[in-house]
Amino acid sequence: MEPCTRLRAVRGALFMFAMTAFGFASADTTTPTIRLFPTTVVEDLRQTSSVAQEMETGLQEVIGRLDQQQQLYLESKCDGAEDDPGCQRLAKQIGATYLDMLGIMEERLPDMEHTVNNTRLSLEKRLRSELGNKMTSWTLQETLLGGNPPKTASDSSPSLRGRSGMRLSERFKQYYKLVASSSSNSDQSLAVLASDIYLDMEETSTLIARTREEIARATLIEQLNQSFGTITPEMMEVVGGVKSILFGDETSNVVIAGPPPGSVEQAYRSPLEQ
Amino acid sequence: MKMTSLLVVCATFVLASCASEPSCEGPQSRNLSTAVDQAKSSLANGCTAYFDSYYDTLLRTAEGDPKPENKRVFSEFLVWAADEGLLSQRQAKEYYNRYFNVKFMTLVSDYNNCSHTCPRRDRVLLDMERELSDKERGLLKVSLDNDGYYRADELFKEVELVLEATCTACAAGR
Repeated sequence: MEPCTRLRAVRGALFMFAMTAFGFASADTTTPTIRLFPTTVVEDLRQTSSVAQEMETGLQEVIGRLDQQQQLYLESKCDGAEDDPGCQRLAKQIGATYLDMLGIMEERLPDMEHTVNNTRLSLEKRLRSELGNKMTSWTLQETLLGGNPPKTASDSSPSLRGRSGMRLSERFKQYYKLVASSSSNSDQSLAVLASDIYLDMEETSTLIARTREEIARATLIEQLNQSFGTITPEMMEVVGGVKSILFGDETSNVVIAGPPPGSVEQAYRSPLEQ
Repeated sequence: MKMTSLLVVCATFVLASCASEPSCEGPQSRNLSTAVDQAKSSLANGCTAYFDSYYDTLLRTAEGDPKPENKRVFSEFLVWAADEGLLSQRQAKEYYNRYFNVKFMTLVSDYNNCSHTCPRRDRVLLDMERELSDKERGLLKVSLDNDGYYRADELFKEVELVLEATCTACAAGR
């Protein structure tokens, strides 16, 4: 075994041991009523985060290069001067970088798709069994309320749902952190967290599948364009889309409005209350 | 002669029946305690068919003077109605919790989510939305329980999200 591989194996074993020990510890202190995040799901999340990070690192350089070339193309007033030999050369260079980007994506996306699907499927199974088959809508509501005192507008946590304007790897890293520290979370927040992650995975999975379908087509078109040296609007659109998926979209942060402020002096409990 | 006697008998009967019919005007006072007494009196005099309308009037009266103690007034009124046999225990709980509790009565069910809730998810969410507006009235406008209403609103959003995920997972398993 090579030293590097051995180190990785040791690290993996340590991680698994830590997660198992963590699982036993949390079972000792609080008896979990629902098990939505077994160690397999936690490990899937961690892996998805590192695969996403690898893909981002690979693409960051090529996307940066594309941005620079596009800037140069615009500054050289090539827009509308496509017959100029210098501009044609620039367009070809942009096309080649674009092909590089598609190549990296084609190479990395299957891994990404695989880990995202693994996480999605394990969560799907858990949600179906724990919340779908073992609970009624009433018990689900009681789980969500969790017997905790009502939260005020100020101490509620922000919603995680969807692409919240952050890097893909960062998003999965955040999910991993939240899940890995789940001993401090109640069933209430775990149910919401599991649902949130599952729906996000569904969306990501569909996006990856669609992107993979498009890559082959886009590569063929660009290879044809290379012989003419043109920049198509579609090319810029694809690059924009990839940037938004991978590196986040700053404008998509949604804040949920809170209720008017106020307080209750004391909570009255009716004998009729359920 | 016979005809005249018959008419007199009929008129007497009609007048007598008019006199015995209870007045179901319902609560008129702007003071909640007085309005509750008026509602109780009308209900005790046989106006049980107007229960819903009286309850609504009482809520409107309480909206005019909102305070946390109003919860107790409504609870005691409903307990009285159940003790008098005007409502079943279940109905009394439904009336109270629909307006004054964070929990949604729409979600009362004996069957699991995959088989029962998911096939009618849209209906359930629509009913929850309606119940949330009753909670807005009961918790926020009548009892000034802003935190309670905020939690109910948050719970509605959480149920919506969790049901979306759970029902997708249930459908994928078929």
